Amino acid sequence: MRGRLAGSILLGVPALFLAALFVLPLLSMVVLSFWRTENYHIIQDWNLGNYWTLATGGAYVTFLIRSLVMALIVSAVSILIAWPVSYAIILYGGRYRLLFTLAFAVPFLTGEVLRVIALQGLLGPLGLINGVLMAMGAAPLRFIMYTNVASAIGLVYLYLPIVVTVIYLSLLNFDPRLIDAAKIFGASPLRAFIEVTWPLNLFGTLIGFALCFIPCLSATLAPRFLGGPNGTLYGMAMAQQFGESGTWALGAAMGVVLFIVSVAVIVAIGTRIDLRRTGFTGLGRS
Amino acid sequence: MKPHEPNRSARGLDRRQLLKTIAAGTTAAIAAPYIRPASAAPTTLRALMWEGYVLPDVIAAFEEKNKLKFAPTFFDGNSEAYNKLRVGGTKDFDLVQADGFWPSLYFREKLIRTVDYGKMPSTKNLFPVFQPEKYKLLTDEKTGVHFGVPFCWGSYGITYNKNEMPPEKAASIECMFDPAFSGRLSTSARFEENIALAGILVATKMGTINKPRPDGKSFNPYHLTDEELAGVEKLLIEQKKLLLTRYQDNATLAQLLESGTIVAAPEFAQVYRQLLNKKAKGEITTDFAHTLIPKEGGLGWVDTWLVSYGVPDGPTLDVCQAFIDTMTSQETMKKIAMASGCSTTIDIRSLSTPEEQTLYLMDRTNELSDMYMFDQPSSPEKWERVWSRMQAA
Repeated sequence: MRGRLAGSILLGVPALFLAALFVLPLLSMVVLSFWRTENYHIIQDWNLGNYWTLATGGAYVTFLIRSLVMALIVSAVSILIAWPVSYAIILYGGRYRLLFTLAFAVPFLTGEVLRVIALQGLLGPLGLINGVLMAMGAAPLRFIMYTNVASAIGLVYLYLPIVVTVIYLSLLNFDPRLIDAAKIFGASPLRAFIEVTWPLNLFGTLIGFALCFIPCLSATLAPRFLGGPNGTLYGMAMAQQFGESGTWALGAAMGVVLFIVSVAVIVAIGTRIDLRRTGFTGLGRS
Repeated sequence: MKPHEPNRSARGLDRRQLLKTIAAGTTAAIAAPYIRPASAAPTTLRALMWEGYVLPDVIAAFEEKNKLKFAPTFFDGNSEAYNKLRVGGTKDFDLVQADGFWPSLYFREKLIRTVDYGKMPSTKNLFPVFQPEKYKLLTDEKTGVHFGVPFCWGSYGITYNKNEMPPEKAASIECMFDPAFSGRLSTSARFEENIALAGILVATKMGTINKPRPDGKSFNPYHLTDEELAGVEKLLIEQKKLLLTRYQDNATLAQLLESGTIVAAPEFAQVYRQLLNKKAKGEITTDFAHTLIPKEGGLGWVDTWLVSYGVPDGPTLDVCQAFIDTMTSQETMKKIAMASGCSTTIDIRSLSTPEEQTLYLMDRTNELSDMYMFDQPSSPEKWERVWSRMQAA
């Protein structure tokens, strides 16, 4: 009885928390998305106008496609960087493994704005990279100044620590003796990695991918400070609706679309993965 | 307790009542600091304002003198502040800042209240052009009551590198759309001013700027026709290829100009003044100049102090007006000009050197009447579409 009560409290509190701080705001956003704004006033007449605008106004579709491509590239690059880093920490980190992983989290001790502005200073016209190049008499690298490449660098910088940590945690629970077994049976190191290490840690990789992909989709600061005139992404355009232009209802509809796209991406990833093959036990035993 | 209700105290305290009492007590404890009786002097003075106008030493002295805490909340643009006020913000803020036509909108919508110039002696030092009888944007046409005090003013002029751009070119808005400076131009990220400035150029080219307007009033770049807006969109899309970036803050713009990465950008003249100071100290060698009003017409703004509609008559209003009086005193205004780099509505010539008088345009306040004041876009929805299409193009 006491166990059931403790369970109810332990699960009930976060459930209430989620309902109050996530479900309710999301529902209010859904409602708002079916209203409209006129001269900064919310008009409560139910209509699909905002969704029609988002579907037919090419600009918003462009922002979404730009964001999807950006999120895909940034997540893929982050995974490509994070895997060897995490693997190296596991293999060679010894008793300092945790220390190495925590070192990646150091940037999180500062605010996101500060990190992005620091990066702007690094990549900008008077930044470290271009400053050194110009001091050496070379031309500055224009492709890292206020471009989508600069945005991508910023986003990788922002979200790489999360991906490294998740893949590291996944590898931490991995039994390396399985690789030895594969090698004993004649597998090369590459084949052992492709057939044993990679699939058995795929779930961690996918979580890392999702934890990078989803925030990239709604990224605001990096494109705003690093992206330049062609760098407007979906999150930045959405933030504009709630800030300067005061077109809240359209912004709410953009938020709903973003949520749906995010869920769809997660579902799409999930349906193509055999979770049990990856060693994931969160679905219970059959 | 009404006569027909049961006397619960006679039955003792049941569990439900106990829970209700605890809940009510907790709510009251949490809400207490935010609830103030109308007649009591405030313990906190809450302001919705631009960050650049915070002067820590002046505010600390005001806090000490009035035994209260000054709690500012910052915003970046009028529409953001307007939205914050409309969502119940008149209860959350005592003092508000806005510019151009926005205060009159606030007053019409009962977001701000009237003020008494008699309680703010510093207003006697306003330049003539900003006295209520001349500057009409803070006076209700029907009743003649005043609802704000002008504070700082400026334009959205063009700061340019004189070594790279000839002054005759920089005298026109066209310089910001000139392919000869491709990749070496920048504008701010403010969508309203970008559209309005382009609107002046488009209306000039279309010849509609001096023709009768659909609303019967004179030309206002914040009230563009659909044809003019279409022209603006086309122009801004063409301009996008020429821009290095849209700067988010003055520090970035200063870097871009100082490094020679860009040669011109519209701004509020703060960066221009910073650069001129650097030049005077020998820290930079580049010559910069600022076009206050381009030949086609320019945008201007007057920042104002307003009092929220939630402020009742009595001690709170007195404190609000005392604060405005402090902020508009000549000594404070001199500090504000130096710290934020803006021109003041208060005559501080007696406290300024001849160089400062030139730099802060103290003898050019009359030019304000030739500028188009910052205003609310006639249709934020249409303007938002124009801006989004341009960004996506």
